[in-house]
Amino acid sequence: MFGYYIKLAAHSLRRNPGITSLMVLAVALGIAVCVVTLTVHHGMSSNPLWWKNDRVYAVTLDSWDPEQPADDKHPDLPPPQLTWRDAEAVTASGIPQHAVRMFKGYGVISNDGDGGGVRPENSIVRVTSADFFDLFDVPFRYGGGWKAAADAAPEPVAVLSSETNERFFGGANSVGRTIRWNDRVYRIVGVLGEWHPAPTFYDLNNGAFQDPEAMYVPIGWAPSLELESAGNTNCWKPESIDSFAGFLASECIWIQVWVELPDAAARTRMQAWLDSYVAGERRSGRFQRPDNNRLTPIDEWLRINEVVRDDNRMLVALAFAFLAVCLINTVGLLLAKFLGRAAITGVRRALGASRRQVFLQHLAEAGMIAAVGAVLGVALSALGLHALRVMYASPREGFTGLMHVNAWSLGVAVAIAVGAALAAGLYPAWRIGRIAPSVYLKSQ
Amino acid sequence: MITQDIRPILSALLRNRTGAVLVALQVAIALAVLVNAVYIVKQRVDKIGRPTGVDIGNIIVIDTIGFGAGYDHMATVRDDLGWLRSQPGVRAATVVSQIPLSGSGSSNRLFKTPEAKGEGVPMNYFLLDDSGVDALGVKLAAGRKFRQEEILPEDPTFNQPVPSMIVTRALAKSLFGTDNAIGKVAYDALGRPVTVTGVIEHMQGSWVDWDKLDHVGLLPRQPSGPNATYLVRTEAGRRNAISKLAEEHLSASNARRVVQHVRPLDYYRNRSYQSDRNIAIFLVAVTALLACVTALGIFALATFNVNVRTRQIGTRRAVGARKVDVVRYFMVENWLITTGGVLLGAALALGVGYSLSRAYELPRLDLYYLVGGVVALWALGQAAAWQPARRAARIAPSVATRTV
Repeated sequence: MFGYYIKLAAHSLRRNPGITSLMVLAVALGIAVCVVTLTVHHGMSSNPLWWKNDRVYAVTLDSWDPEQPADDKHPDLPPPQLTWRDAEAVTASGIPQHAVRMFKGYGVISNDGDGGGVRPENSIVRVTSADFFDLFDVPFRYGGGWKAAADAAPEPVAVLSSETNERFFGGANSVGRTIRWNDRVYRIVGVLGEWHPAPTFYDLNNGAFQDPEAMYVPIGWAPSLELESAGNTNCWKPESIDSFAGFLASECIWIQVWVELPDAAARTRMQAWLDSYVAGERRSGRFQRPDNNRLTPIDEWLRINEVVRDDNRMLVALAFAFLAVCLINTVGLLLAKFLGRAAITGVRRALGASRRQVFLQHLAEAGMIAAVGAVLGVALSALGLHALRVMYASPREGFTGLMHVNAWSLGVAVAIAVGAALAAGLYPAWRIGRIAPSVYLKSQ
Repeated sequence: MITQDIRPILSALLRNRTGAVLVALQVAIALAVLVNAVYIVKQRVDKIGRPTGVDIGNIIVIDTIGFGAGYDHMATVRDDLGWLRSQPGVRAATVVSQIPLSGSGSSNRLFKTPEAKGEGVPMNYFLLDDSGVDALGVKLAAGRKFRQEEILPEDPTFNQPVPSMIVTRALAKSLFGTDNAIGKVAYDALGRPVTVTGVIEHMQGSWVDWDKLDHVGLLPRQPSGPNATYLVRTEAGRRNAISKLAEEHLSASNARRVVQHVRPLDYYRNRSYQSDRNIAIFLVAVTALLACVTALGIFALATFNVNVRTRQIGTRRAVGARKVDVVRYFMVENWLITTGGVLLGAALALGVGYSLSRAYELPRLDLYYLVGGVVALWALGQAAAWQPARRAARIAPSVATRTV
């Protein structure tokens, strides 16, 4: 029976090639525009560490100016980073399973004489604690991270990104060899596998779609080498800072802190620790704003940092408005077409076809349009995403990397197509099913 | 005449309204999207087109960094600037702390009194040397440029006072309530005075999304190493040739230094506006597609109606209707449908505009856009119905007498 309906539908669609192709094109365009915007939106809002969303938290404390909030537009939020001293205290609290304090540094990476004649390059380097790799489940190709002891009394050890390893060592196992950063020698202890979290949730200060750092070195080097941040440093307090030690003791915020708390009990203990720490600091004259000590899971962190921009949401809404017009268009055309051939349907009804059968026959036609439209729509969305990649031709792989048709996009396309078939087909098929055969038989 | 036409058309429409309602709905959504999209695109285009105040088309940005113990920052900067300034076609060159319009910058707050009361006025500042004004190509409105002896040495603590500054008119107005600011004194957060020695007409700072983009101050200080960023302003048409020359020379002249990028300043501006530009392109593309789909829908439905009504049209023609009457019937019918859609669409457009202005802090939708959109959709509807109406008019009266 179903096969017969499909045959009927195909026959009917072939009868008006112009209108059929218009309907298919409308459905395809509607699907394509939705898939393009939803794919980008989904990629932007996705949590690259979703399996740890209930364990990993960003730590923020409101150490800002008593007179005004850190961000005028979001007065309820504490500043996104911590002072050096607060970051040090939080990571030393001993409560989290893993705790990381870190910032982006910069400087020239060059080979240490045994890497061939590779041109030195200014690079962003993450200056971080040993726990970074375990906390964020960073994959290693060779070797591993450094021991916590290498943070305290800083050891000249480094972990390379796979790109940096490719560049300086041709992708070979470089563990045990050395590399220079700002002309100082570091011993390589690990090389990362492919790791391109997008968004780069762990540091959103300079945009959410940055390339991951070229190299990782122990946080302990910051005081001894007087490393400055290549990210944001924000200060509110008029302080006379005349040395790096003075900067480290200042109210300037520039350090990101993340903790891994395996269960609710650990979370409660951590929160209590933060509250009591801030209360203690308040007694010595700091933290004059109301308590706002937060442990923020990654999903929430992406939301409050507005990784998905208002513009992206607007485009998704626009895409659905467009889809709606395409579907209304198809409904109108299907209806006109079905009613135009009501006489034939009348004959079928008179010959014994039930309402249900007539309804299903016509729904099959709408379904075919949606199916062909979906296939064409996926092809068009691949084209559209390619166009977006060209428009955003940016060195930031993290962002253009989102612009590919993936399994998720295909799922969306199928879902929209099914929805479209039902939305566009139900009403016309129902209308035509209700036709009284006698009316049309008479007019013959 | 027209009103006589409308009544029978309207009653015919109302009797068979589903198709008309669907077209009207499309028109309504199309109007709401069109009006708001055009409005948003206009704002983005205006934003991108704002004057920068600098000689944007003729400035090269050279971004370098030194490394290692053997790197002498002061000597390198002196040598580089000496070489750059000696090149024919170079009008001026300066070392600068950050690149205007790049999204990366520094700011602090200035106060009217030494006690640093209130919120202060934010200033996006650039450290540069005595060639800074010429290298940016900004227009001096009053006062003077920096003198060579005024340029302070590098300050690794970022905290040393600067006694003089050049400000934009906009910053002068915010600080002193007047742009006649030469000799006036402002104070930093620690109460240290800084005197205005020059006022420039206009200059955009670092962050294109900042509402105080034109609150720019130039400070006479050598930026600290090991980064050295140069702005080189060339004579018209020489930018690309000098870029190439500079990249070759600077890459080879010092082994302790890496030349990261040699790019036109335009590159940074375009990069900063990338998402605004792409949103505008996307909106235009989808809106154009939407207009096409709507027009095709109107066209297809009108064609269908003509086909279905072939016999009625033939009958009308047979009883004396002229071709022009048939054309008018379909055009008026279309106009009625479009008008219904437009009325609904106007309400929808205002609603969407209102919620956009609430959610995204946009200015409220300008009503001229709505009027323009209504006219555009009327025209679109009439254009789409024109060919089917003409086809209807060609139906011969004899059709009426044939049976099927």
